[in-house]
Amino acid sequence: MEDIIRLEGIHYSYFDKIPAVCDISLGIKEGERFAIIGANGSGKSTLLQIMNGLIHQSSGNFFFRSHEVTEKTLKNKGFLRFFRERVGYVFQDSDIQLFCPTVLDELLYGPLQLEINEKAALDRAHEVMQMLNIEDLKDRPSYMLSGGEKKKVAIGSVLTMNPEVLLLDEPTNGLDPRTQCFLFELMLSLSEAGKTLVIATHDLSLVDELHTKVALMSEDHCIEKVGTSEDILKDEDLLLKVNLIHEHMHHHGYKTHTHRHSHYFFHQHKNGETHE
Amino acid sequence: MKNNIPGFLLENPPAESFQQNNGRVKIAFIEKGIHHLADVVKTGYVQWETASRDNFFQGIDARIKVLFLLFYVIIVSLKKDILSEFVIAAFVLVLTVLSRLDILSHYRRIISLAFFFGFLIALPSAFNVMTKGDIIIPIAHLSRPYSLWIYEVPEEVGLTTQGMYGVLMLSLRVMNSLALSFLVLNTTPFPEIIKALKILKVPDSFLMIITLSYKYMFLFAKTAEDMHLAKKSRLVGQVSNAEARRWVAGRIAVMLKKTRMRCEEVFKAMLGRGFSDDIKICTVNKLRMRDWCAGITFFSVGILFLWM
Repeated sequence: MEDIIRLEGIHYSYFDKIPAVCDISLGIKEGERFAIIGANGSGKSTLLQIMNGLIHQSSGNFFFRSHEVTEKTLKNKGFLRFFRERVGYVFQDSDIQLFCPTVLDELLYGPLQLEINEKAALDRAHEVMQMLNIEDLKDRPSYMLSGGEKKKVAIGSVLTMNPEVLLLDEPTNGLDPRTQCFLFELMLSLSEAGKTLVIATHDLSLVDELHTKVALMSEDHCIEKVGTSEDILKDEDLLLKVNLIHEHMHHHGYKTHTHRHSHYFFHQHKNGETHE
Repeated sequence: MKNNIPGFLLENPPAESFQQNNGRVKIAFIEKGIHHLADVVKTGYVQWETASRDNFFQGIDARIKVLFLLFYVIIVSLKKDILSEFVIAAFVLVLTVLSRLDILSHYRRIISLAFFFGFLIALPSAFNVMTKGDIIIPIAHLSRPYSLWIYEVPEEVGLTTQGMYGVLMLSLRVMNSLALSFLVLNTTPFPEIIKALKILKVPDSFLMIITLSYKYMFLFAKTAEDMHLAKKSRLVGQVSNAEARRWVAGRIAVMLKKTRMRCEEVFKAMLGRGFSDDIKICTVNKLRMRDWCAGITFFSVGILFLWM
């Protein structure tokens, strides 16, 4: 199957001085669950913004369905519409993403941009609110929502556009366990519905739960390895190297152990014993 | 969850429904404005970078530089002849070159600000309606003199030598003051300036206003840029200037609220770490020989300018 998203030798620097991503090449297949993992500052969010055409690479090529996406091609009205209605982006900071007066306006913004008639747009908004259990919030302004509610509205505001590809930046960050669980299920359902999910995260349990393909980014802003979630999560030396797990010492009863610890659902002792 | 997925989310648009057309998306005026706002962040970064280099002016203690700025701004205001202003401008230029700042962008900003806040503001005073004198460029010839409020409009209206001299003098003063200020700002990290002002007994409430305003400016610019990106990610066509203006007008209140809330959080974080209206600074470094030498040199040159 052909890649829906393909990056070839992507470089990007902030202010033309601070490198954010270096020589990134990867391909994402249609319907795939793909996670970009790495420590803070490794360049995950920058890479996601490049994939949404919000910022443009200093060098290298980015293709969506074999069409090159550049600042120039996005100035073509036909291509801009083609690209934006197919690729949706959920920002890490929901506060920034929510700019309309109320939740309902937020959900309607995308469909109205797509020139979908008002009735169909309203139907979409109501169906999405129903799915996300946020119907009672429809008239509330965004700054009067809790963190979890904001995240649901931010995801909803993108889903009403029905994109093929969903780019999610740290979707579970700062959410309580119940909302995290809700999001896991939502992402799995969207994936089963045929959506391509690209998730930037350092939450290893999310990668494990969604059983994604993984691109591991190093602190040098390069791709360290691409593989299945099993391959990557088992490679503790590699995770240690890119600062996604750490080694420390603590007590279990009267015994002192040295652990490699990820705050992930298990951790392994140096002697091979595993604690859940 | 799967049963709850709305039907429209299960539909995919045809894979290749993209039709290349000749319509081009023009960048709205307002979008350019937001890019300029984003430049505020970039300028802050560049200021931090140039201030952290190890060149001539960057190496001098911030206290000496703040005193230098105050002393020279007073000299610039006291001088009454154009030649002295040019000599001071040349001296500042030499210091800027020695500090290895980007001369072109540095002076482009200074000259444009001096043009607006010096030349354009003072230009009306060059006319003989405001400043009596010898006309060098006649502009209009009236049938008779008029009396307008407190002004006497003569028969012949034009720019006078005395008026032009005044405009040039004021523009040079503004330019020199800006050049001195930008030189110090671009060669001194912001916290060092605050520290120096504190040592020089500037009131804490004033320093608090400067510090929080500086922080607020960056938060505002960053929030504006991020919100613009969020909107851009959901835009599928061109937005007219009128629509863009409406969007910005509607969002300004939200943005002010968000940035103000964030700035309040910053202030709460300061309170949480024991801040109580009194700015405390850690150990102050002693002035080195290099700082004393620079201070004495600047003082001597300043006296020379005053005497000139």
